[in-house]
Amino acid sequence: MPLSVDERWDLIEKISKQTVEFGAYKHTLKDAIAELTVKPLTGIPVAIAVLYGFWSFFIDFAGTLFTDGFMVRLFDEHWLPWLQSVFPGGLGNPFYALMVDAGHWENGVLVASDNCFEAFGVLTSGFFVPFGVVLWAVLAFYLVFAILEDIGYLPRLAVLVDTVLHKIGLHGYAIVPTFLALGCNIPGVTATRPLETRKQRFMMITLLSVFVPCGAQIGIMQDLVPELMGWIFLTLAIGYLGFGFILNKIVPGRSPEIIMDVPPYRMPTLRNIGRKLWIRTSRFLLVAVPFVLLGCLIVGLMYLTGAMDWLATVLGPFLMGLFGVPGETVSPLIAGFLRKDLAVGVLGGLMERGIMTTFQVFTSVVLLCIYFPCLATFALMLKEESWKEFIGSIASLVVMVLVYGGLIHLVGIMLGVA
Amino acid sequence: MNEVEEKFGQIYFAVLGAIALVFGVAELIASAGEGFTWGILDSSGAADPMFLPWRAIILISVGFFYLSSVRNFAEIHQLAKAVMASIMIWIVAGMAIWSRIAGSIPGEETWFNSLEGFLASYAPPYCPEMFLLPFSLVIVYYIMKEKEARMTGQK
Repeated sequence: MPLSVDERWDLIEKISKQTVEFGAYKHTLKDAIAELTVKPLTGIPVAIAVLYGFWSFFIDFAGTLFTDGFMVRLFDEHWLPWLQSVFPGGLGNPFYALMVDAGHWENGVLVASDNCFEAFGVLTSGFFVPFGVVLWAVLAFYLVFAILEDIGYLPRLAVLVDTVLHKIGLHGYAIVPTFLALGCNIPGVTATRPLETRKQRFMMITLLSVFVPCGAQIGIMQDLVPELMGWIFLTLAIGYLGFGFILNKIVPGRSPEIIMDVPPYRMPTLRNIGRKLWIRTSRFLLVAVPFVLLGCLIVGLMYLTGAMDWLATVLGPFLMGLFGVPGETVSPLIAGFLRKDLAVGVLGGLMERGIMTTFQVFTSVVLLCIYFPCLATFALMLKEESWKEFIGSIASLVVMVLVYGGLIHLVGIMLGVA
Repeated sequence: MNEVEEKFGQIYFAVLGAIALVFGVAELIASAGEGFTWGILDSSGAADPMFLPWRAIILISVGFFYLSSVRNFAEIHQLAKAVMASIMIWIVAGMAIWSRIAGSIPGEETWFNSLEGFLASYAPPYCPEMFLLPFSLVIVYYIMKEKEARMTGQK
């Protein structure tokens, strides 16, 4: 015969009396530190310090040490010149343009590229983007993420941001998928599974796929536009919270509380960190590399067949009118559907040629972040959401891009920079 | 921790907190303009100006954490504030050191830096957090003392 609720509680009390030893518990130093990190007054400065450390490590490890220190030299001074000298065909040959270097026109003369961002061949940009830039960014991100996770700081950060995220119908736990998505959107979307209601999952997946750039994209952005990173993140954070608030108001459903385990602080083990790092980075590379190579090939083919110029001419007035960006932005937007990092790389090529103003670069980078999830995330959204929710996500995404992109342009006009 | 140790801790961390606060305010003012370099003290944010205001906010918080820990210093929650302040200094100073290490390994024209270039990367000026770093390590003594007291059952 099943027990009633009251009988169950009675039983629990009896068992706990026999098994649990009660007494005064004295706080340890670890407990006291744990308390400090969840109270807003002390926890927020600590969170700022942790995020400062996170970001500084990321920039110096991925940018200063590996990409700028070794990879740019390896690819631009050795790999690219070597390929340019040995690959058959030479400048102007379609196959050579696809695989090594499409070159660019200067005063009516086709000139060879001097860096892998501009070359845009499968063997040049196709290798430089994932191995020269992205790998180190992802490695740095997942290393710090694993340390914070294993120390036990992430659940505390979740408690800390709980109040803010409640305003947009989510709760503190949402910080975990958001953080994960900063490495790669795919584990971020997967991490929404513990969310209890369809509404919360729908909101979280939509916000992640629109406003959270992945580690690969951040790595390339940091390499190309380091001076704009603060503004880009601020714009994305405002979008995340603003559109989250609106979605919470219009999407039907409940946002119930979630009980989260906050473990004590622990010393992370090298073995665990190493294993997590290996699993996450290798999975990431397996997904990323084929898409980057395919993206280079498709964008290269579109340039060669003239499709890109046609699209730029057709969509140019629309892009210029609504977002204030030149028609040439259409090529990164197409590349972005395959890989966002590759798209920022294409944008880098345009920047090198001085086609855009600083504000246009800023708008284009933000648009690239928000305009569409990459193909892998898109496929996962299809799997994780019902058809109705998926169409809802895409519709929200289109509205967000048009409204937010237009708003950014409007702010630029009002400030006199657009 | 005995009375002398507690008294010493109170005075020491009050002074350290006040210095951290002064440095933090100076960095905040510096972040509004071009920053400054004064002898071996660098608050110019030359490497990345975006970081300077955040560093200032952290340093001001460190100052407040230390100062608020002084009263009843031996109590575990008060001591935790001083420990947290020290950890925050370790994070910022640790990243400043890491930044120098990362910049010192690759060379300008060659794959690896020369010995002179490598050593020159560690030359002054230094950011305020790096000056505070050795002084913040005193907290390790108090952590050990607290652990010792717990082990011997005095707490």
